[in-house]
Amino acid sequence: MRLLLVEDEIDIQSFLQRSLEEAGYQVEAASDGKTAERIAIEGPFDILIVDLGLPDQDGITLILKLRQLGVSAPVLILSARRSVDDRVRGLEQGGDDYLTKPFALAELLARLRNLLKRNSPATSESTRLRVLDLELDLLRREATRSGQVLQLTPQEFVLLEYLCRNAGRVVTRSMILDKVWGMRIQPDTNVVDVHIYRLRGKVDGQGQKPLIRTLRGVGYVLKDR
Amino acid sequence: MSSKTAKPILRSAAWRISLRATLAFACGTMLVFIFLHRFVASDIQRRGDAWLSGEVEVLGDVAEQTTKNALYDRVVGEVAELVSKEVPNKDPSVGASNDSVFFLQTNGDGSLMLWVGAGSGVPNLKAIQADRIVPGSPSDLRVPGFGVPFRVASTRINDGSYIYLGLSERDELRVLRSLWLRFVLLWLLLVFLGFSIVFFTTKRMLSHVQRMTEAASRIGHTDLSARVPIAARNDEVGNLALTLNHMLDRIEISMHQLHTITGSLAHDLRSPLTAIRGKLEMSLSSGPQSEPSEQIVSAIEELDRLTDFLNMSLDVAEAKADALRLNRVPVDLDELLRVMIDLYEPSMSEKGLQIRLHSGGPLILEADAALIHRMIANLFDNEMKHLPSACTVNLRLSVEDNAASLLLEDDGPGFDPEVFPHLFERRIKGNKSTGHGLGLAFVDAVARAHGGTVAAFNCKEGGARLAVNLPLLAISAGQVVASRKMTITSSL
Repeated sequence: MRLLLVEDEIDIQSFLQRSLEEAGYQVEAASDGKTAERIAIEGPFDILIVDLGLPDQDGITLILKLRQLGVSAPVLILSARRSVDDRVRGLEQGGDDYLTKPFALAELLARLRNLLKRNSPATSESTRLRVLDLELDLLRREATRSGQVLQLTPQEFVLLEYLCRNAGRVVTRSMILDKVWGMRIQPDTNVVDVHIYRLRGKVDGQGQKPLIRTLRGVGYVLKDR
Repeated sequence: MSSKTAKPILRSAAWRISLRATLAFACGTMLVFIFLHRFVASDIQRRGDAWLSGEVEVLGDVAEQTTKNALYDRVVGEVAELVSKEVPNKDPSVGASNDSVFFLQTNGDGSLMLWVGAGSGVPNLKAIQADRIVPGSPSDLRVPGFGVPFRVASTRINDGSYIYLGLSERDELRVLRSLWLRFVLLWLLLVFLGFSIVFFTTKRMLSHVQRMTEAASRIGHTDLSARVPIAARNDEVGNLALTLNHMLDRIEISMHQLHTITGSLAHDLRSPLTAIRGKLEMSLSSGPQSEPSEQIVSAIEELDRLTDFLNMSLDVAEAKADALRLNRVPVDLDELLRVMIDLYEPSMSEKGLQIRLHSGGPLILEADAALIHRMIANLFDNEMKHLPSACTVNLRLSVEDNAASLLLEDDGPGFDPEVFPHLFERRIKGNKSTGHGLGLAFVDAVARAHGGTVAAFNCKEGGARLAVNLPLLAISAGQVVASRKMTITSSL
């Protein structure tokens, strides 16, 4: 996967490049709009990360220019503004995504995966999800662990489904709130944790290998190994 | 616009102003006319009197010098007839039969000697004798049978007889009446014309003010680029529009500065925060997987809290300055509350709290979904942080006067009386509070940005009550002021 990273803050650029490379991306980095344009035309990229506050031009202008030059890869916009600009919203509707700074790496990676998935030809949706001995029947909304049916509420099923779809990858609290409850909020209480504890109580029964792991300071992961 | 023009014209300021101006104008012109009328009347009378006095002298001379023979009556009578043809102000339409002048001569004993005029002259003589008319300046005489009084002058001649010359005031009155009639017609015309001019001028001027009011009320929280229309002329109203626009320019500039400041502040803080967080996360993942460093974890958590605080204080600051940008979409408050309760219920029951929703079904309002989500989350967080266990939170959702009313009641200890008066201010929190003290300030800011209100009470039977009011439809700033006034009066 070839990725073009356009970010003028050297600190952020270097740690992003390192972590993206660790995640398996082939990263080219640019610090300003001019360089980004040049690199983008040279080689085809699968995905772009563009910071809005570039020294020589506005990130949106750059994206529109690249689109005119025939660059059709999806773009993940990084923004330091909280209130989302209408133009960003327009791009978001056009298939791109945005993330406000500061962000969790896990969330950045998840959004990149989403963008790539959206852009790749649709694979036939499976009606069953399987992670180790955990199995989810998406049609009957039923989960089993080692053949034993788990008594889950509908909301817990959605939460488990989300964890299963991201099995082996870290999901943050705000990602869970966004995808499972459909809201971008940052509660300063432990609401998500309690849901996870309850789900864990049902999924990881006594004598079974614990599947749901808490990564403190980062989020949660459903183990697939 | 339509509601303003539909307002009855009788209640408009233009109507009141033109009514008063016209009244003053009408009274003034009427007074001037009455004065003129009197002047003209007295002048006409003076002229009439001068003519009478002159003619009566002439007739006296003629009567004196004419010998008393058989022709005396004819001579004096002819002269009197001639005199009567020279009557001043005579109406030419009246025919030859002349009843506007009479000539009367009496003997020394008062018996009728010679009469020239309409009728027998007897009633005139009786009236003269009754009024005791004496030689000298002319005076009024009312004669039975004549509708109009006469002006009579008299003189005494040497043979002891008296000569009276009477001039009917009919012609004088006719002139005055026609003057009066013409004036009233002209006066009515002038008053009507004046009223129309004043009315339409003020109406035009005030309609410009009205347009400015409407334009100003449209200049909402978010759109500061609009300006009030400028009058073509450089008068007071034009100046008002110019001044308003200058003021709007200044507000827009300071608002722009605020946006720039919050924007660059956000940017300047966020970039290093992003870098720090990223580095911490990387050192976390590169360390031994099973044993994450406690310091790094808590540093990341602190950083997230700091970010949250930064976001919220910027939002509160922008909302307080009415500069929060809203992205309004239809939001079902009922559904949102159910999802929120679903999210919060496990942690609440963990703390021994109960939460119940009393709602009449879907309630859709036009609002910024993300802000409303965070507002509700703040309300719930607030309850969770301040309620001791075994308490119940009751949520009541209803529609009142085109506004969604959300009532949060709990049976906890209520608001701390010390912080109660400053509940919605920034950085206010109770002694035992662990939050950053922005929660309710944020709730208030979001409600206000949507044209709504938040009110807090401590119930008599214990417990706190928060009432959030959000209009169902997006309304302009002017209407917000009006609706706030209404809530004040209705709460009184």
